[in-house]
Amino acid sequence: MLDCGMHMGFNDDRRFPDFSYITRNGRLTDFLDCVIISHFHLDHCGALPYFSEMVGYDGPIYMTHPTQAICPILLEDYRKIAVDKKGEANFFTSQMIKDCMKKVVAVHLHQTVQVDDELEIKAYYAGHVLGAAMFQIKVGSESVVYTGDYNMTPDRHLGAAWIDKCRPNLLITESTYATTIRDSKRCRERDFLKKVHEAVERGGKVLIPVFALGRAQELCILLETFWERMNLKAPIYFSTGLTEKANHYYKLFITWTNQKIRKTFVQRNMFEFKHIKAFDRAFADNPGPMVVFATPGMLHAGQSLQIFRKWAGNEKNMVIMPGYCVQGTVGHKILSGQRKLEMEGRQVLEVKMQVEYMSFSAHADAKGIMQLVGQAEPESVLLVHGEAKKMEFLKQKIEQEFRVSCYMPANGETVTLPTSPSIPVGISLGLLKREMAQGLLPDAKKPRLLHGTLIMKDSNFRLVSSEQALKELGLAEHQLRFTCRVHLHDPRKEQETAMRVYSHLKSVLKEHCVQHLPDGSVTVESILIQAAAHSEDPGTKVLLVSWTYQDEELGSHLTSLLKKGLPQATS
Amino acid sequence: GGEYQDFHAFDLSEATRVLEWIDDKGVCVAGYESLKKNEILHLLLPLRLSVKENQGLFPERDFKVRHGGFSDTSVFDLKHVLDTRLLVTSGLPGCHLHVWQVTEDSDVIQAVSTIAVQEEEGSLWPRVAIFSSMAPGVLHGARLRGLKVVDLETQKTTYSSGVGDSEELSSLQVLDADTFAFCCASGRLGLVDIRQKWAPSENAGPGPGAAARRWCAEVGGRRRGPGPSIASLGSDGQLCLLDPRDLCHPVSSGRCPVSAPSPAPELLRVTWAPGLDDCLAVSGFDGTVQVYDATSWDGTGGQVEPVFTHRGHIFLEDNQTDTAPLVTTHTWHPHKPRTLLSAASDASLHVWDWVDHRAAC
Repeated sequence: MLDCGMHMGFNDDRRFPDFSYITRNGRLTDFLDCVIISHFHLDHCGALPYFSEMVGYDGPIYMTHPTQAICPILLEDYRKIAVDKKGEANFFTSQMIKDCMKKVVAVHLHQTVQVDDELEIKAYYAGHVLGAAMFQIKVGSESVVYTGDYNMTPDRHLGAAWIDKCRPNLLITESTYATTIRDSKRCRERDFLKKVHEAVERGGKVLIPVFALGRAQELCILLETFWERMNLKAPIYFSTGLTEKANHYYKLFITWTNQKIRKTFVQRNMFEFKHIKAFDRAFADNPGPMVVFATPGMLHAGQSLQIFRKWAGNEKNMVIMPGYCVQGTVGHKILSGQRKLEMEGRQVLEVKMQVEYMSFSAHADAKGIMQLVGQAEPESVLLVHGEAKKMEFLKQKIEQEFRVSCYMPANGETVTLPTSPSIPVGISLGLLKREMAQGLLPDAKKPRLLHGTLIMKDSNFRLVSSEQALKELGLAEHQLRFTCRVHLHDPRKEQETAMRVYSHLKSVLKEHCVQHLPDGSVTVESILIQAAAHSEDPGTKVLLVSWTYQDEELGSHLTSLLKKGLPQATS
Repeated sequence: GGEYQDFHAFDLSEATRVLEWIDDKGVCVAGYESLKKNEILHLLLPLRLSVKENQGLFPERDFKVRHGGFSDTSVFDLKHVLDTRLLVTSGLPGCHLHVWQVTEDSDVIQAVSTIAVQEEEGSLWPRVAIFSSMAPGVLHGARLRGLKVVDLETQKTTYSSGVGDSEELSSLQVLDADTFAFCCASGRLGLVDIRQKWAPSENAGPGPGAAARRWCAEVGGRRRGPGPSIASLGSDGQLCLLDPRDLCHPVSSGRCPVSAPSPAPELLRVTWAPGLDDCLAVSGFDGTVQVYDATSWDGTGGQVEPVFTHRGHIFLEDNQTDTAPLVTTHTWHPHKPRTLLSAASDASLHVWDWVDHRAAC
């Protein structure tokens, strides 16, 4: 099972995946060899504790080390908001999160992990967020690569996704941003800084709701650099709770960040900021300009929502939404233009503050997808789309450019892909030699039929001669002989009929050894043909054609040839 | 000089030479490489750019690929047939025009039919303009002698120049239901009424030294009052403004400050701003787009200065290649008066808005 996410737009059971697709009544552990989690975003791991502890799964759960470290933090944060703030029942508990994480097996990049004696997996760098990985899943010579979310262009704190020419049978890639042409990062950053600067210059307060461990670090680096360059004095705060842990994890997993950060890390810790301080709730009431990064990102609850409520009434203030907001959240409402919000207790909040949107999320666009397909060289591609819209153009583009099949299944649809795995079979030298000794040169273009016995033992395939197989198995050999009767109209003596048969076959079967034996019988290779008189009708001759099982093909061919009759004898 | 009001830079997967509006919400672009499949894309403008004023908040700042299609031939020109879902493209080889359909329920642009162009001209390709009406007609031609109007549906020729003149065409533009304008590469300009046999009102023909220059032209709709509404641009940077009633004597002319003649004169483009008076944009000389205010010229042909120069294509160039990007085409936004789109040979696509420091207009 690839990923196990929560749908952030629903508050009821629709937010969980439908596990009945795996099995309706059976135990999930019996149907799944393992679960793979690509990265810590809640739409990829949010339902994991529910799945393992409430629905029931006891098998291994694989993820990268940073994901293993950060997942439980986000899950606990999410749980707290759902249960404590919203009072939800039927939600997973803190203990369930802990028990779920006990089932996790952490993997390193490019490390081949044996899940069992057949299944192996390997993680590749995906960019996108800290610890995000693409996974190759392999059984024998067949494999699937699942990308999770990835990004093909490096940014300020993460590198770009990369995979080798692993040639999987199938590449499963996200295609949410496939139809988007994004404006240049420089323009977006310049606009973001311009907005923040303008607000701060006029004495306003800027709220930036963020997911704790994602673009937040990117924006922090950006603001820090800008503040330094412009010698700005207004304070920048990062809300507590996740701050220290966030920076701690970035330091811990420094190898997962990009080259530039790793290099500068020696002189100066890129995640320890000069101008950015820890936030205290009381600061929100301080006079004067400031910038605050607060969680969660969609303003759906918690500290960011608290601060938003305090600052919303002043038009000097600004809120910059840095990412996609799911329908139902306050973030989504204000981005849609709503300026009067109904809060708890029927209170109406009037939003006078400036509302801006600046998406820095790092997903692959069409160009990125084409790049990845070019790197991995799969036989087929499967597009997973966030919205159920037609992407026929992208499908055709991929099919034409790479000569592969491209699938875009809808939710619940099953896709079946034919594969032709090659199974290596060792052929015994003795068998090979015997075939060569048959006398006729093999034709490279024509298939050559040979008889042997296939022995399959311990994932080992051998082709040996029947005799050898019998010997190895300790069995006695039996000879199977077939005899067929062909009736011919010929009033002459048997010997003459036999002669006619011999001449005919000699001329027709040029590539076989046809002989006329002294006792009157005719042989074609090892097949014996004898002519006899019919017991009741002297005008009819009976040809007895007999062959062993090994010569079945030639035997049948001869029989049908003879049934056609003989040419008229020339005198 | 000048200051930006707004500036957004995008990267297409292939460079385009066309920017054709489909209503005011989307543009079509198309690849122009030979020997490979080119894409024709219908792009939806980022939401925040596609509305009249910035009402409330429009979060989306990305282009969306709404439709896409594949062309086996290069696309040098693309025209939308107004009030239909049809597009007509032209390129090399120049023996056919291609008609395409953009459908609602699929995101693939389908090839519908081809229009044979009688005279194949090697490296010349037919210019295209559309007579939009109940029965749309496609005006096309690579030379004056091959100029004709073909009914889009029946493919019957409804008008033909009928002349033997082999002058190469550079621009074609439909002005109304009965008239069109042409400009030849030599600089010869003409206005044609298709209700009559070929009898264009035109200028005298190529002037001295004309062979060294290549010309293109555009007719602009005047917002108010009389005055020159035809602009013609030469590959040496000369910009002439003419009144349609007297094509022989330019009303005004100036020389654009370009360092060398255009490296690709076929890419030269001059356009009138639909939302501003006497305002022109010029591109094709280098990696810039220049905006001119014709009223500020003395009109005697001396050097004129642009009120704004868009240099984004040069500044944002990522790779340090030898060849600097060349602006392949530009277009004005239909109702945002100072917003333009420009595309360059490095596949960049820019949307920009400049601050007008001229006296109140």
